[in-house]
Amino acid sequence: MNARVVLTLVALLSAGPAWTQSKGQLRIPQFSALADKASETVTVTLDANLLGMAARFLSNEDPEQAKAKKLVSSLTGIYVRHYTFDNDYAYPKGDIDGVRRQLNAPGWSRIVGAISKKENTNVDVFVLIDGEKAQGLAIIASEPREFTIVNIVGNIDLEQLHDLEGNFGVPDLEIDTGKKPAPAKPK
Amino acid sequence: MNENFPQNIEDELRRRLRAVDPPEGFIERLRAALPPEQRTAAVERLRAALPAEQRPTVVAFNPRAARPARQFGLPAALAASLLGAVFFGMHVANERTFREEQEGIAASQQLMQALRVTSQKLDLAYEAVNHPPDAGDEENRS
Repeated sequence: MNARVVLTLVALLSAGPAWTQSKGQLRIPQFSALADKASETVTVTLDANLLGMAARFLSNEDPEQAKAKKLVSSLTGIYVRHYTFDNDYAYPKGDIDGVRRQLNAPGWSRIVGAISKKENTNVDVFVLIDGEKAQGLAIIASEPREFTIVNIVGNIDLEQLHDLEGNFGVPDLEIDTGKKPAPAKPK
Repeated sequence: MNENFPQNIEDELRRRLRAVDPPEGFIERLRAALPPEQRTAAVERLRAALPAEQRPTVVAFNPRAARPARQFGLPAALAASLLGAVFFGMHVANERTFREEQEGIAASQQLMQALRVTSQKLDLAYEAVNHPPDAGDEENRS
């Protein structure tokens, strides 16, 4: 009887982090052991509070920052893990596959998938569609000497993502926003 | 001789009964030796016996004189505490604002970095989809 209670508590406690996760948020491993091995590390963890705080410090004068400010206003989280190594495959591929498996869940759609045998690169872009809105974006890119996991959570306006073209080098991925393109303004 | 005798006695008496200053610390020593209840009376008697110019000045404690200090001491202490609390509060608020500002700036830098990494990887995906190397090299594109 006691063992059952303990097991139930353990199960509830282990499920705890899942309750606190927003829709579209992936469980990304910490990769803390990789920080020493990597020659370059980018770790960004911005929840809704930090995003709000960050947005307050983005300038409206700077076009790049102004568009970023507009984009993040409807987001609830941005999580980035990017590691570069001096040796090939110095990272645990199993952890990345674990993140990939989360994207098999219903709602997630792969909009871009590219595997290059020659360059040993693998890039996947996933979008979580809920109703007619994108609620999450995930990018998993792995190369022999680097890997990147990007998870953007929240109401993602794909048109705003389009608007970032040329600002951060975001290319036009021909994402269908479901809206007709605006007629070109006469010069 | 007979005429001088009374004169001598008078002189002698005057000399013997002349006022003599007490040695230094005499009153204090006497006061310390007396029981407490007799001290004030004894000191007063001694003071009365002394010539006016030699009487030690005794400043008695006057409760009325201390009243202003008592009257304004508590409000002054409260005002000082209030002022201190206000300054401390301002200091804490400034510290918090400064800390939030630093966190906000760091968060905005992280945000811009995250968007740059995102754009780089989207660019990589774009390149892979739109500019494939050779047909044989690309295993899967969608």
